[in-house]
Amino acid sequence: MKRDLGRLSENIDYTLLITVVILCFFGLIVLYSSTRMTTLGGDGYFYVKRQIEWMVIGYAILITTLLVDYHFVEKYSGLFYVAAFVLLAMIFFSGRTTYGARRWLLIGPFEFQPSEFAKLALIVFLADFLNKNREKLESFLYFLIPFGYTGIFILMVFKQPDLGTSMVYLAILVIMLFVAGARIKYLLTVFVVALSSIPLLWIFLKDYQKNRIILFLNPNIDPLGGGYNVIQSRIAIGSGGLFGKGLFGGLQSQLHFLPAQHTDFIFSVVGEELGFLGTLFLLGLYAIILWRGIKIAREAKDLLGSLLASGAVAFLLFHILVNIGMALGVLPATGLPLPFLSYGGTFMISNFIVIGMLLNVEIHKIKM
Amino acid sequence: MRESSSVPEEIKFRLHYLWIFIIISFTMLVVVLWYFQLVKGEELAQKAVENCIRTLVEDAPRGEIYDRNNKLLVTNRPAVVVSVIPGEVEDLEGLSERLGEILAISPREIKDKIKEYYVNPFKTVKIFDDCNINEVIEIEERQDELKGVVLEIQPRRKYLYQDLAAHSLGYVGEINREELERVNASEFQGGDIIGKAGLEKYYDNILRGEKGGKEVEVDALGREITTLLYRKPIPGKDIVLTIDQELQQFGENLLTEKKGVIIVSDANSGEIITLVSKPSYNPNVFVGGITPEEWKRLSTDPDYPLSNRSIQGTYSPGSTFKVVTAIAALEEGITDKNREIYCSGKFKLSDQVFKCWKEGGHGKLDIIGGISHSCNIYFYTLGQDLGIEKMNKYMQKIGFGEEVAIDLPAQSLGTIPSAGWKQREFNEIWYPGDTVNLSIGQGYLLITPFQLHNVITTIATEGIIYKYHLLKEIISSDGKLEKQSQPEIYRKMEFYPNTIKLIKEGLRDTILEGTGWRVNIKELEIFGKTGTAQNPQGETHAWFMGYVQNDDSPLCITVFIENGGDGSEAAAPIAREMIEKYFNIPKEKNPKISYLKNKDAFSIIGG
Repeated sequence: MKRDLGRLSENIDYTLLITVVILCFFGLIVLYSSTRMTTLGGDGYFYVKRQIEWMVIGYAILITTLLVDYHFVEKYSGLFYVAAFVLLAMIFFSGRTTYGARRWLLIGPFEFQPSEFAKLALIVFLADFLNKNREKLESFLYFLIPFGYTGIFILMVFKQPDLGTSMVYLAILVIMLFVAGARIKYLLTVFVVALSSIPLLWIFLKDYQKNRIILFLNPNIDPLGGGYNVIQSRIAIGSGGLFGKGLFGGLQSQLHFLPAQHTDFIFSVVGEELGFLGTLFLLGLYAIILWRGIKIAREAKDLLGSLLASGAVAFLLFHILVNIGMALGVLPATGLPLPFLSYGGTFMISNFIVIGMLLNVEIHKIKM
Repeated sequence: MRESSSVPEEIKFRLHYLWIFIIISFTMLVVVLWYFQLVKGEELAQKAVENCIRTLVEDAPRGEIYDRNNKLLVTNRPAVVVSVIPGEVEDLEGLSERLGEILAISPREIKDKIKEYYVNPFKTVKIFDDCNINEVIEIEERQDELKGVVLEIQPRRKYLYQDLAAHSLGYVGEINREELERVNASEFQGGDIIGKAGLEKYYDNILRGEKGGKEVEVDALGREITTLLYRKPIPGKDIVLTIDQELQQFGENLLTEKKGVIIVSDANSGEIITLVSKPSYNPNVFVGGITPEEWKRLSTDPDYPLSNRSIQGTYSPGSTFKVVTAIAALEEGITDKNREIYCSGKFKLSDQVFKCWKEGGHGKLDIIGGISHSCNIYFYTLGQDLGIEKMNKYMQKIGFGEEVAIDLPAQSLGTIPSAGWKQREFNEIWYPGDTVNLSIGQGYLLITPFQLHNVITTIATEGIIYKYHLLKEIISSDGKLEKQSQPEIYRKMEFYPNTIKLIKEGLRDTILEGTGWRVNIKELEIFGKTGTAQNPQGETHAWFMGYVQNDDSPLCITVFIENGGDGSEAAAPIAREMIEKYFNIPKEKNPKISYLKNKDAFSIIGG
């Protein structure tokens, strides 16, 4: 066992691991800058301390995930799916409401978001399913089956309501299907059908979700209400210029004109205080992680590993793009956090598990 | 070790496309960032500063306080506060010069304040509190040369009757650092006004309301262009007290130049109708921040005007305590209505001699006579028979040594002695003499006047203690009655029916022919007991506790005069005046004194 671990660690992708560590430190600094003034007279390190706790837990879980060969999912992927389903269902009965959305579940002293766990379960389940049924995807009907599985999750969180998360499920499915070699023709067909059913979907959206989309299309309709976030965020990022105003120097950030600036809008703080160079640096770190992810997927021992890694890449990619796009006002504000930067426990641990998936596929590509 | 990949080539192609997609999307992000940060950066940066957004806090007016007859006691008035936004000041020297001239303060002081209270460039620093109308007009007129100066209107507490019921009402002040750390910090900010004492503190959550505020866009001159966000402050709720302003004022006048307490409450509801503690202070001096000199004067005054003597002062109860000894003895079967004790004026305990206040002695007395004549020998005997353990048990039972159930913060507990307590405190054993001393309320026992008031209430209600309260009603800011205080039983004590009956007889006789004769009002059925407590601070403390049997509910009254002298002479007449006032009884021209012949005797310790 010891020798195995030694061999495993020889093979670990240090570029990926070190990039994640740098990203964590970067995230903590930005988080401190954006939260130190929130409680006058209170503890300026409150959020940072808790975020560090979660990061430590995250690392521990990451290491744990490395101990099991990813092939175990061939046996248990169904279990993951069922567990996620049950947890999502439990939300209907005992979920806690924040900001008018029921997303949280209390288990003992822990609060967590089942919808977050479902993202990971979906990656595992789809990887196993597509690995086993790749040939059958040639048939259009069979191609639709994973949409059914994913659709159940989407409907369940859509009811909560959480537009952003349902989009994550869809993104994971589409990217994994694409990688698995599904016919482009089929994917396009689904895309066209989905697009044409948007008017139908509109009926099911809650008012605030409709508003978000309308405001995204034109934030100036309501500069004091919903459009306020986007305008303030854009001003913050833009006013950063090339070098930024320096840490703790952001006018918008320090004065808390930015809503949710330690969670969903933390990118605006980076933009304002660290400028174009800061955002470039951050995007660079993300690019390295995604590059290593793609590399791991390509060099995986088998299709299962490759699909797991693609799912992980899909997860990270979608969060990064949608979150930054939202901060810049080029995508609708759907409330997705930014990996390793946004404050929040469940999501932080998800990030580490996703990195754990990549590393697991990486180290087990060797025959032992 | 060999690497083997069974990933189909097609999959690798697809991954390659995915990578291309990633590169394209990241490039697009970089382009958008480049556009916003570098191309439009200047413009947006300008917007961030110049189209400067100010956060203005709008304080919620605190709820008003009314007396039981809806007479307004505490309200709010608008005060204009002059503040400076440091980030907008261009010429600090000149500004301090000009502003100092208008407000008649030194420019140095202004500069110091800006330095000391600076948080960030956009957080206002308070320079001057509560400026008058001429100053307001001048600042408004010269606004162009006073860039960075803002005027804010804030509600300020106003106590309409100055020091009336000051200890009950309490006062407000800015939240301090310790309080900020103790309370839920997200709800409060530095500079917030909270209740610091009395009802202002106890009902702070009800009175405070929720502050509002707005974010406004201002131009280069600091003029508001648009309001971005506005949250209306939610005013605090009003409270109606059980206090009767008129009786309260009357009681306070009776204690002018004195140190003491008057408590008047309704026995069967716990409503406190009057709660006087003197000397007092004017809570208006705390509004807008108390000056250091004023604070020093109040806090170092040897008469402790800030202390609410009714719940915070602890004193020896003197002879009023004999009632507790009597209850204990009756309940424990040490005495009954037939046991007579002979008072020769002296009580011998081994080589010590304890005296009765009446030199020649009372002769033979039963329990009723013992109480009404306040005979020391009678109670020495009972105390000796009871012993300290049993006495201690009844002191606890009656509520000594613990907080009274009342809606006021910061009570003293007092001291109830026991053998163990003496061992711990003085490392000395408990002597039989200590018990004898205690039996007439002297020695180590210390209680608050309200704890004693609790004793008389217990007798009036025959064992039921209702929660005392000053709060009668809560009225929401839109005038709706939100809550009405209901009598709430705090504790029920079981006594033998005879115990209460005999004690009541003793207390009634005290008024009719004993030490409490000065309270005897022929129209009313009054019960009571006087007390004169020796104390190391000098002149004796004068006590009276009693109640008036009333159709609705007994009216209980306790009077305490610190170093006032004799209970019968100093405390009882005040109780009488209060009762006369409450029941609207005209003063007798020549009060018939049924017990004149012995009157002088009562000016001795023990009466």
